[in-house]
Amino acid sequence: MSDPQGSAIGDRGSEEPGSGIGDPGSETLAHITNVVVWDIPSAIVVGEKFRIKVGMKCSAECDLTGSHFEIYDHGVEESGIGDQGSEAGSGIGDPGSEEGSGIRDPGSEEGSGIRDRGSREGTRVATGTLSGDVWPGTTGLYVAEVELEAPAAEGLYTWSVRSLGSDAEIPHPDGSISFGVRVVSHPEYLVTVETVDKESQMPLSGARVVMHPYKAVTDERGIAQVRVAKGAYRLFVSQSRYLTFGLLVDVDADMTARAELCVEPVQERN
Amino acid sequence: MARKKDSDQKDPKRQGEKSVTRRDFVKAGAAASVGAGAAVLTTSGTALTQVSPTEAVRWTYEADVVVIGAGCTGLPAAIRARDLGASVIVIDQNFDPGGKMLHSGGQISLGGGDPLQLRDIKGEGDKEGFVTAPRQQTVAELTEDTDFLFRDHTDWSVMDTAAQAPYRYNERDLHRAYADNCYATREFLMANYVRMGRISGTHGNGGMSRARRAVTFFMEGPTTDVKKGTISKQDAGIAGKSSSHFAPRFMEDGTKVASKGARTNGAALARPLEFSAREKGVRFILNRHMDEIIREQQFSGRVVGIRASYSPRFDPSGARLESLWQNGNIDDRTETIYIRARKAIIIGAGGHGANPQFRSMFYPAWREPAFVSSGWALLGPRGQDASGIIAGMRVGANLAGMQQNLSYGSTFHFPGNLATRDPYTDMLPGHPTFSMRGSTGINLLTDSFQHLIVVNQVGKRFFNEMLVTTRQGGAAFPAGPGKGQPKKGLDHVQLDWRNASVENIKATYSEPNSVHAALAMNEGSKAPDFFSGPIWAIFDRAAVERDKWNIDPPFTSLTNGFFFKADTIEELAAKILKGHEFQRVPLTYLKETVAKWNSYVDKGSDPDFARGSDAPMHRIDTPPFYAAAFYPVWHDSYGGLRINGRAQVIDMQGEPIPGLFAGGESSGGGNQHGLGRALVHGYIAGTNAVKETT
Repeated sequence: MSDPQGSAIGDRGSEEPGSGIGDPGSETLAHITNVVVWDIPSAIVVGEKFRIKVGMKCSAECDLTGSHFEIYDHGVEESGIGDQGSEAGSGIGDPGSEEGSGIRDPGSEEGSGIRDRGSREGTRVATGTLSGDVWPGTTGLYVAEVELEAPAAEGLYTWSVRSLGSDAEIPHPDGSISFGVRVVSHPEYLVTVETVDKESQMPLSGARVVMHPYKAVTDERGIAQVRVAKGAYRLFVSQSRYLTFGLLVDVDADMTARAELCVEPVQERN
Repeated sequence: MARKKDSDQKDPKRQGEKSVTRRDFVKAGAAASVGAGAAVLTTSGTALTQVSPTEAVRWTYEADVVVIGAGCTGLPAAIRARDLGASVIVIDQNFDPGGKMLHSGGQISLGGGDPLQLRDIKGEGDKEGFVTAPRQQTVAELTEDTDFLFRDHTDWSVMDTAAQAPYRYNERDLHRAYADNCYATREFLMANYVRMGRISGTHGNGGMSRARRAVTFFMEGPTTDVKKGTISKQDAGIAGKSSSHFAPRFMEDGTKVASKGARTNGAALARPLEFSAREKGVRFILNRHMDEIIREQQFSGRVVGIRASYSPRFDPSGARLESLWQNGNIDDRTETIYIRARKAIIIGAGGHGANPQFRSMFYPAWREPAFVSSGWALLGPRGQDASGIIAGMRVGANLAGMQQNLSYGSTFHFPGNLATRDPYTDMLPGHPTFSMRGSTGINLLTDSFQHLIVVNQVGKRFFNEMLVTTRQGGAAFPAGPGKGQPKKGLDHVQLDWRNASVENIKATYSEPNSVHAALAMNEGSKAPDFFSGPIWAIFDRAAVERDKWNIDPPFTSLTNGFFFKADTIEELAAKILKGHEFQRVPLTYLKETVAKWNSYVDKGSDPDFARGSDAPMHRIDTPPFYAAAFYPVWHDSYGGLRINGRAQVIDMQGEPIPGLFAGGESSGGGNQHGLGRALVHGYIAGTNAVKETT
């Protein structure tokens, strides 16, 4: 275990409260556990299984093998897609660092069996344990993949992951992070997008097609298929070194769109 | 922990501290092998003497004309004075002549019926047969006279897309002389080995009504030979891989303006001028910074000489950087020397873009020392330091054009180059200053900014990232709707009140504003300077993979303080605070900002800065996480010493300071971007300097 005084974190942190940085001047320095969540599908059909990755990192680079975490559902946000609400009302702020955010102590409800969707504490939907794998490209982010089940109703949910410490000798206070889970009904229409280079008319593979919240990637023929719900969308197709193609579409049936992408010109230097 | 920097760096030895090694980069073969045509000196421009007109100075050297700065003003001034029979010494603070001109695009807007306009009107090429490309402009677009050019450069009515007037405040006497000397300057350049292609449009603020810009070029050949106008492929550079000592920046294809095999940029201007100057007997004292202009009395009498200090630069191995050519050099390593000017001193020391104290008189927020002037790595820490202007002020000079920094669109802007302190400079392996860049940077096009967020020193976003690199264009031919003017090309009407009408300004105003937002005070700004602090691009591994960025060395460096990688956002914030010399406060809000951004992505809208309308939004959640310095750059300098039409420096009483001349970015009162203005000033200054009597 490395010396926390020598870690990259902690220097000058005490100057600014709330920075999330440790205080090297304290005699009872705690090892801070930070939590990361990624690979969250952008749209998950109601009731379906999906997988996410959870990572945890100790500020002193402790081995977190065997550390436990819990995942909570805090319910549907009242604001929907495109809501222009203030940040205070977004409900997706970092619960771990904000006083009164409401999920600091979910453990009190453990075992209650009550799904208190929308409550501050949230409902525990899963637990997990870090296996000891460190995520590639990181120095000490221990990772686990978790299978979860989407709620049965549509909406943008706020979920959170909370670390529960480990059996390590040095205490690790809980860390947590919240994230959005977009649950959609079964999308009924198929949008086929053909993507080509405008000048050569050659297909562009690997282009990203986005009809928020739905996404797809074009294949070697330049084709991507996105299954979406009825509605109005801003269809984007983007590819490295090309200008993003944008198109407003109303989807009320299966449809096809063609995206001709232009190489982005290099701005003249003078 | 080291104290965070509150002032600019002045120690030249710091240049080599953080470096890119040649091994870091694609192997580019041997360095430049130029030297053909090196001239034998036949004149004695200098002599060790002990003349002391002020009874106090022991002169180390003397010459008829002393030129400060071997750049776009200084080189033509030196050659012109030498052509007219004067002995000339040129000093430059850098190790190699050329200044910013050497790194420029080589675009020269002149006009008024200059020789290249006339050549294109006639449909002719050059004598060497290099220029065979078809004419780019119509005869009408090329036809004008000096009176027409003068009106263009002093047109009160022209407004740019930031509602600024780029011509209204130009000094009239200066621009009358400019118009009258464009023809002679173009001829002069061609007589000194400078090849230029077809006229195409007009460079920024070079006038609205006619096409006046030509680009300098060499032809690819087996060897680099300035006299023959050829350059080897190695010297011209390989895109993205190598440049050369001869040409620090990769030279672009010039087929459209000359013919197949033409390679263009400022090396095709700076090197020929330097070559010609050396050939004609101009003497160079490089690694020599001018610290003081000596006048008979501080505010009266003639200027008689200068004091200059030794300013060498060293590569990471400790070796002194040396000029490409040495013939004509005086290698004096004495700490301080004094040079007597029998007739005149010409200040061509460049602008003030790298002097935070000086530039802050135009824009207080730019007192922030973190941000550099373009060419920082090429010119070193003393380039563009306003020393020429300050020295002139100390002997009584007036200033001019002090507001004109604000009326050229790229005076300061965000180049899209991340993870480097000097985001504008392009040296690659092969040029001696490549290692000074520290990292070459992650050079992104605008569309790639969809994959990141940009935050200030406390970790808060401040602008729509998709618009943050938008630059306002210069006001120049052919302009038209969307570029500031109601009518395009030949339809533009000089001095027409409609050009400045409220309706036109409303229709064309598009000031980008991102730099202003970046420089705004924030929660980390503290008295007395209220620095806005560094700017950071924040992204994740998914962005790197999605948009195929190369973030390996030498594009980035994890040790130079301009690029950080961390397992979590919290750790990233801590690393920036610890590792970046201008990060004075914690990025307190970074974690919250990223969380908020991810929530906006989930919702599909960005209520803070309206992202999502022109490109998709992407979560920043996949470790590892990255922070790359995203720095604005001060590119041009406008505002400086007031000069008249003879390029004489004018004092506070409106009188010329006897023997003192200036031009280019050391002078003010001219808002033209780029090379044309400085070249003409240099030509005029050299012409008139020799007429001075001791």
